[in-house]
Amino acid sequence: MSAAVYEERLERMWQSRPGVLGWVMTTDHKRIGLLYFWTTLVLFGAGGAEALVMRTQLIQPNQHVVGPSTYDQLFTMHGITMIFFFIIPMTTGAFGNYLLPLMLGARDMAFPRMNALSFWIFLGSGIFIYTSLFLGIAPNAGWFDYVPLASAKFDPGHAIDFYCLGIIFNGIPSSLTAANFIVTILKMRAPGMSFNRMPLFCFAFLAASWGLLFALPSLTADTIFLFLDRNIGTHFFDVARGGSTLLWQHLFWIFGHPEVYILIVPAFGIATEIIPAFTQRRVVAFPLVAVAELLVVFIGFGVWAHHMFATGMPTVTVVFFAAATAIVVIPSTIQVFAWCMTFVTGNARFKTPLLFIAGFIFMFVAGGLTGIMFIAVPFDQQVTDTYFIIAHFHYIIFGAAVFPIFGGMYFWFPKVTGKLYFERPGQISFWLIFLGTNLLFFPMHIVGLAGMTRRVYTYPAGLGWGPENLAESIGAYLTAFGIVLLFANLVVSYFRGLPAGPDPWHGATLEWTIPSPPPEYNFAVIPKVSSAYANWDYADREEDRQKLAQGVMVLEQGHEQPVSSPIDGWWAEIVEMPHDSPWPIVLALAMSVVFILLLLHLWMGVCFALAGIVLALLGWHGGEPQESEA
Amino acid sequence: MADYVAGGVPERLVPRTTEARNAREARLVAERRLGPSVAFWGMAMVIASEATLFGTFIGTYYYLRFSNAHWPPPGTPEPRVVVPLIMVGVLATTSLPMQLAAMAARRARLWAARLLLVWALVVQCGYLVYEIHDYVHQLRSSTPQDNAYSSIYYTLLGADHAHVAIGILFVVWLLWKLARGLTMYRLNAVQVVAFYWHAVNLLTLIVIGVVLSARL
Repeated sequence: MSAAVYEERLERMWQSRPGVLGWVMTTDHKRIGLLYFWTTLVLFGAGGAEALVMRTQLIQPNQHVVGPSTYDQLFTMHGITMIFFFIIPMTTGAFGNYLLPLMLGARDMAFPRMNALSFWIFLGSGIFIYTSLFLGIAPNAGWFDYVPLASAKFDPGHAIDFYCLGIIFNGIPSSLTAANFIVTILKMRAPGMSFNRMPLFCFAFLAASWGLLFALPSLTADTIFLFLDRNIGTHFFDVARGGSTLLWQHLFWIFGHPEVYILIVPAFGIATEIIPAFTQRRVVAFPLVAVAELLVVFIGFGVWAHHMFATGMPTVTVVFFAAATAIVVIPSTIQVFAWCMTFVTGNARFKTPLLFIAGFIFMFVAGGLTGIMFIAVPFDQQVTDTYFIIAHFHYIIFGAAVFPIFGGMYFWFPKVTGKLYFERPGQISFWLIFLGTNLLFFPMHIVGLAGMTRRVYTYPAGLGWGPENLAESIGAYLTAFGIVLLFANLVVSYFRGLPAGPDPWHGATLEWTIPSPPPEYNFAVIPKVSSAYANWDYADREEDRQKLAQGVMVLEQGHEQPVSSPIDGWWAEIVEMPHDSPWPIVLALAMSVVFILLLLHLWMGVCFALAGIVLALLGWHGGEPQESEA
Repeated sequence: MADYVAGGVPERLVPRTTEARNAREARLVAERRLGPSVAFWGMAMVIASEATLFGTFIGTYYYLRFSNAHWPPPGTPEPRVVVPLIMVGVLATTSLPMQLAAMAARRARLWAARLLLVWALVVQCGYLVYEIHDYVHQLRSSTPQDNAYSSIYYTLLGADHAHVAIGILFVVWLLWKLARGLTMYRLNAVQVVAFYWHAVNLLTLIVIGVVLSARL
């Protein structure tokens, strides 16, 4: 038999149903990644629109585009959206889902149906939280939702209940995805891909997934307590009955600081893929970077209280957390030096993706430097809750997380669509976004030092904040224009772009060995891997081509996928993967009903909906993969 | 073709789980497979996540304890010691039949696995029924709305009971599955559910220990 026969057989075995049903029931990690991508883009648009309204409000003193209560909802929703509904689902959901199996030489995630479930629950949670905005009762106590402001006494109504339930709701798919990623990375690697042959991108996602898995329960517990306090009458945060308001802050930031690394470490992973491709050089200090990616998340768990220096904690606590914060600089810096040295020692081609990465390094270092300043506790207490903080974390979150996301969109666009984007508009979009964000966020340092506090819906004239705020707003429009140009470029390229071929960048990892867009089975031959830069191992790739012609390592007898041992990549077994299933979306629907009923206090209905979840799970596990595919 | 080596292992030695459609084949596959199943790793993640959730609950318990002068506050009854300790001890013994069931399934002894699961299920159900009864009974003398102590007390215990209840659902489902014979899928499931129960039993021991620490 020839290669084409094997490919056709795989194609028949792995293809999804045609039409909409194929998307609703899909378990294909690439389709789920795209579903995540489109959904998070819509939410990104919403979060961006909220930011633009706020910047329009602040463009000059005494503006009244929106009133204070609407403004409160806007900044809260902006924060929640960008963190929980854009960056996490974009990096883990879209990039991770689409790319991880491709880089690991796998045909799907470890738990394909759970992957689909993650997406549908995520979609439900997005609709859930945005319903509140359309009803005009969106969460309004800031994204970190401090009590007692967020308690039933000071914030009656449904706004904060939407927050609590929305966060728990959104945490479920994040935990599921994290678990799925960890098991995929540990078990689904192509046989022979031992840990030291795994791309740095996968190390970054492994680190971020561990972070998510261990950080989210803290936030979940916190929001459960707040929900109980508000709706059942418990006293977790009620000082009068033995509760503690600081408890909220501790639990929130035990999640919240690892969260920062969860946001940026996948972006580090994207950077460590783009840099080798455009410098044609292996990343300097591979093991150090791999360890630093894991370490930054690990140490990130021990620094949470630096968000709380102004709360009057004991000096010992403050000093401890300041010191821990200083330590976390080390693994971050190791990576920055490794990237810079790869630039210097390689042969850099400044195409758009690499420009975004260069911009990312600049922004990350700038944001990191202001971050280090907060270790000086008296300084931190001065600038707490001012625009200086806003400037710092937007440099980190926009600069260090979103820049690589944009770079990654350009970088993998040819892989996902099979078309090349247009280079010139791409570079213009980069410069617009780069200049725009600096114009937007840099003056915030100055007004912050001048005393402008965050979360004020307007400010009086005569304080000298006018010019900076005007510049910030102009920067915001410039950034928005750049982002629109970026997506316009990608949309036009999708229809008019030149064919990209399998490997337009001479990329380093396995996804560039297969056609663009990838076939549904990903790899016709389970690839041989002898280094972390598999696409540059020409002998291995030639061997794979010969194996396809002979039908070796094709595994076309069913929905088959090899499973390896976690560390060494020994070939452990061949498993039958599940195929299209209606149960993930049914289960996600039942779960959405649970959250809606909880919001409405229909406790009896909640019990029925929980029974619905159990029934959906029974249906899910009714057909075993071995039986259904026989 | 058959002697092709990938990841250090020749293809002919690698078990195909698709092959295992009955107890004997499942046993053969389980013997040839390197290391635990993917499902086992998945359960490890679930347990890691749940353990962290309980870690947060327990951290909250002690945070509140050390910000209160009296624990439990005056007027709130102290937790009882003897009966809860006996009950949790009884629950912990179910780790034995669960583990034996997993080992029996791996040796394709289907009836032994079923009977061991029934043994575990009876004890687990007895525990849960008593604990729910006790929970409701305690709610007559103090409620979660009383103070921070009772809030975290009832939340912690309630969350633990919920995990026991989920475990019971798992075992019932397993018995229903095993009634129709053994496959590789079900063998994995028995091992995974046994793993879950070890974790829940350990968690329950810790939770009861934390709750009883109010008497110290």
